[in-house]
Amino acid sequence: MSSAGLSPRQRAEQLSAALPPLLLHADRVAASVAQGVHGRRRVGQGEAFWQFRDYQPGDSPQSIDWRQTAKADRVFVRQMEWEAAQSVWCWRDGSASMDWRSSNKLPTKRERAELLMLALMTLMVRAGEHVSLLGTGLPPAANRGTLVRLSEILRREEPAEARDLPAPEPLPRYGQVLLLGDFLADPQEIERSLRGFAERGVKGHLVQVLDPAEETLPYSGRVRFEGLQGERPWLLSRAEGVRAQYRDQLAAQTDAIREIARRTGWRCTWHRTDRSPQTALLAVYSALAQHL
Amino acid sequence: MAALGPVAFAQPWLLLALMALPALWFLLRVTPPAPKTQRFPAIRLLLGLAPQEETPARTPWWLLLLRLLAAALVIVGLSGPVMHPATQLSGSGPLVLVIDNGWASAKNWSERMQAAEAQLDRAAREQRRVVLLTTAAAQPDAPLKPSDLLRPERARERVRALQPHPWPSDYESVRAAVEDLQVDGSAPVVWLNDGLQTPATEALASRLQRLGGVELMRPEPSNLPVSVLPPSSSGTDLKVQLRRADNRGPTARTVIASDDRGRLVATAEASFDDGSRLATATFELPLELRNRISRVSVQGENTAASVALLDSRWQRRPVGLVTESAQADAQPLLSEVYYLERALAPYAEVTRGNLGELLAQDRAVIVLSDRGALRADLRNQARSWVERGGVLLRFAGPKLARELTGPEAREGGGEPLLPVRLRRGGRALSGTMSWGSPPKLAPFRPDSPFAGLSIPDDLSIDRQVLAQPSLDLGEKTWARLADGTPLVTAEQRGDGWVVLVHTTANAQWSNLPLSGLFVQMLRRVVSVGEGVAQSAETGPLPPSSVLDGFGQLGPAPASVKALPSDALESNTIGAAHPPGLYGLEGQRRAHNLGPAVGDVRPLTDLPSGVEVGGFASEPEQRYGPWLLVAALVLLLIDLAIALLLRGLFGPAGGDGMGRRAARTAGARTAGGGAAAILLAVALAPTSASAQSAGAGDDPESYALKATLDTRLAYVVTGVDRVDRIAEQGLRGLSRTLTARTSIEPADPLPVRLEEHPLAFFPLLYWPVTEEQTPLSARAERKVNDYLANGGTILFDLRDPTPGVNLGGGLSGAGQALRGLTRNLDIPPLKPVPPEHVLTKAFYLLNDFPGRYDGGQLWVEDTSAGGGDGDGVASVLVGYNDYAGAWAIDQAGQPRFAVTPGGERQREMAYRVGVNLVMYAMTGNYKADQVHIPAILERLGQ
Repeated sequence: MSSAGLSPRQRAEQLSAALPPLLLHADRVAASVAQGVHGRRRVGQGEAFWQFRDYQPGDSPQSIDWRQTAKADRVFVRQMEWEAAQSVWCWRDGSASMDWRSSNKLPTKRERAELLMLALMTLMVRAGEHVSLLGTGLPPAANRGTLVRLSEILRREEPAEARDLPAPEPLPRYGQVLLLGDFLADPQEIERSLRGFAERGVKGHLVQVLDPAEETLPYSGRVRFEGLQGERPWLLSRAEGVRAQYRDQLAAQTDAIREIARRTGWRCTWHRTDRSPQTALLAVYSALAQHL
Repeated sequence: MAALGPVAFAQPWLLLALMALPALWFLLRVTPPAPKTQRFPAIRLLLGLAPQEETPARTPWWLLLLRLLAAALVIVGLSGPVMHPATQLSGSGPLVLVIDNGWASAKNWSERMQAAEAQLDRAAREQRRVVLLTTAAAQPDAPLKPSDLLRPERARERVRALQPHPWPSDYESVRAAVEDLQVDGSAPVVWLNDGLQTPATEALASRLQRLGGVELMRPEPSNLPVSVLPPSSSGTDLKVQLRRADNRGPTARTVIASDDRGRLVATAEASFDDGSRLATATFELPLELRNRISRVSVQGENTAASVALLDSRWQRRPVGLVTESAQADAQPLLSEVYYLERALAPYAEVTRGNLGELLAQDRAVIVLSDRGALRADLRNQARSWVERGGVLLRFAGPKLARELTGPEAREGGGEPLLPVRLRRGGRALSGTMSWGSPPKLAPFRPDSPFAGLSIPDDLSIDRQVLAQPSLDLGEKTWARLADGTPLVTAEQRGDGWVVLVHTTANAQWSNLPLSGLFVQMLRRVVSVGEGVAQSAETGPLPPSSVLDGFGQLGPAPASVKALPSDALESNTIGAAHPPGLYGLEGQRRAHNLGPAVGDVRPLTDLPSGVEVGGFASEPEQRYGPWLLVAALVLLLIDLAIALLLRGLFGPAGGDGMGRRAARTAGARTAGGGAAAILLAVALAPTSASAQSAGAGDDPESYALKATLDTRLAYVVTGVDRVDRIAEQGLRGLSRTLTARTSIEPADPLPVRLEEHPLAFFPLLYWPVTEEQTPLSARAERKVNDYLANGGTILFDLRDPTPGVNLGGGLSGAGQALRGLTRNLDIPPLKPVPPEHVLTKAFYLLNDFPGRYDGGQLWVEDTSAGGGDGDGVASVLVGYNDYAGAWAIDQAGQPRFAVTPGGERQREMAYRVGVNLVMYAMTGNYKADQVHIPAILERLGQ
């Protein structure tokens, strides 16, 4: 990815250019009035033909399908299927722990998460879905200006103000949520936060973004570990001695997240910053396109 | 100071601290290294984790070793180690320092001075006084005497002022001086000897031993001086003999002959064989060069004995031998010139010639064999030459006896050029009718130049011319027969001499020319012309310039005395008579040290108990500071390693938010930037030169350019204006060719003969200009190859004058052409014949105008066949400035008007160009076409 001088949004555009527009798979579209591509199987505003019916007084003369009318004695009116758009609220963890990388060659977790999120949003907007950011209060919208505005909001967010987990927010039923973060917080807190959404019927998708060093713990010798969010430091005389235990802990955390997702009916994807973002994008893309 | 082999320590007790190193080891072992700090987001998962076995983190062993080494270096460095410490002086009295400063000491003077300073260092350290004693007196009258008791600092000043003298050391006087020396206690004696064996060495050493322990320092035998003897003046070559003291090992020395202004005249090698003390260098030089030699010295030697000064005694005088006809060589044994030349050649430079030529040259002696009366003008010329200092040696013979004897000889032509008047005819001393045997030669008188020569018994004079008796005949006679008649007479005229031998120079009248005496007599006569009067017994010679101890010639100091001739003969060298040049201007005599030195040997005989050593003792070296620096470097490395271990440098320490990491990264980028700048600065000249090299066309791209398209090419003459016209002309011709023919050349290329390959071009246009530099041999070879392998060159003389006279009177351009092509294989040329292919290669042409009209176009005569060129002439020479007619400017307009004028002429010039290119490219097929009717006709038969 040769994208040194590009803004995050431009890189996201570049990344998403390889994929077709992401039309979310939606069983039930949020009860929004916004016009979209998800057919509601009922008559309404839309592009696709739905049915002919007899003209009734009060119908607008413009709605008469003259070609059909000419075939018979009756006068027909052409009706279209109501097509509505799905709305997706996105969120990424902007806290200090995301702003870290184990090596200069890697992007920080936050950069990667933002890249993935913007790429997905770009794809969705291209498909006509409406996107917004959790916590901003902006109504979901599907124009390109939205992306510009949202990426600007991301850029301006201070890590200190950001939280580990999204704050519960009243979302319309059947809305969808996309959460990206490292999800290294206490699993109970994670579950509490997700339930806040799930109980309203909001479906969601988790993407856990981790640095490779967080998986392998490559340190050795006498190391004093310091947290990035004010946790107390921890001195290890032989860091390599706890590597196996640490892996177990991490696996337990991942399992916990998976379990939470299962319980709430959400889905989750894992990503490491040393992998290519295309892989992650493709995984999330296919997951979102199938089910949410 | 405690010594430990070659190393001593100034503060040895500090070394005890080395015992503390194991304790330091233990302390470093138990102290764990500082942890490195790592920021980690997933710390929540780590909290509470602890490694199962808590082996304490240890400082790595190599880091421990590094620190211990640093500590050890500090301790050893502070204890002040000294390499090669000087030993203590023996005895309790003052240091007696005997320094040889005779001629042989100059060879190792700097080592000697260093050794003396080292001894004075010792004395200063032990606070001894010093007695200085030199072995060669500086002044002729001042006797040698030891110095007073000196402080070492004062002695150092005196030692630094010492200079070697160009005369031998006088050990006898030193011994006498030592007798007077009073010292308290036993005085250590250090003798800086020159390493040569002398009879007095042993005695002096024994005497010195009575003062205290004697330590004698001398140079290695292989490092002893080489002396040079003045060259032997006999023979045709100048032979210089070298002497060395040590006879071991073959060595070769270079002998340098230089003139009186120090300029090098010649060098020669002298090789000492193993076991030999003598070597000879031979100079084979023309006489003029040989006479310029005023100094012979040995390269690499700086003693006065390695220099031999030459005075006029070594200069050979040129002798002219008058030969009037070539007939003399036909029967050599009858020719007088033959005998004379054989006799003179070993000692003198002999030139033959007629008298007029020889007089014009600068000959010291002219030998005139039997010759009648001279022409009046020649005689006057010869007379004035003699009066200017020449020596005219004449021989009698039939012609001289016929024409110059008797009173009639002085009539008409005036006085003949003879030392004495001669009686008519001559006399036959023996013959078939004589009774007596011919007389022998009488012994030479002491005042004769021939004095001392032995006379062979079988010498006989059959005929001679007789001198008219006169009062001064006796004085004028150099040799006479036993009966008293003069055989050799001489008369001084002005500065020169006229010498007559009263018999012939061949065996016709006597057998003198067959004898060895003849050779020696001629040599004496020739030496009469040497300017220096050998017999002149003058008084003592005043010093002119003398050699110093290092063999440099300089003005004589006031202490040098005039040199009496017996001192000159006996080679007496001393403070009063240092080697050098003595005598007044024009009569310098060289006084050389080499013969006085004699045969020298390395020093061997010494009384037992004398400690003998060389100068090359290694000086004290203090290593303390260096060890401390090394310790500092090690500690810096340790600091870097510690920082590395704490994660300040490592790649694993990357930390997006850490300010420290950011700072490190910033520093790294800054450092990287600085390194990049340094690198750029370092590489700048290289890349600049690479660029400038790349700016010129490299061979490959030139070859591609020349071969991917057909191109016309012109030879770069180096004259901008000419080259530009050539370029523009070929451009215009290329355009015409493209428009009219199937040849579509690309832009013309310049060809630099020195660098560019020529093989790519079928036709080279070569504007001839006088300013072009001559071709190098390489370029000439290239052009010859090109011509021989089918290339065609059109030389354009660009000269309006009709060039029909190519072989005759040449214009400037013609001469330039001749100069440029001097070494080229230019075939025979002829004007283009009417039926030549050039007249019909594309257009039908009758003449070949360019910018000028009328100049003939010459072409190689290919009618004879042969050559590789497919019948195409390899060389064309035109006069009409073709490029000038073809030249177009940027807009495609012609640049120059054609003369006599008219666009028709320009059109014709273009047609000439088209025909030329067609001719060069297609060869002679047009000629074949023309012949087709004839061929068909023949086939039909």
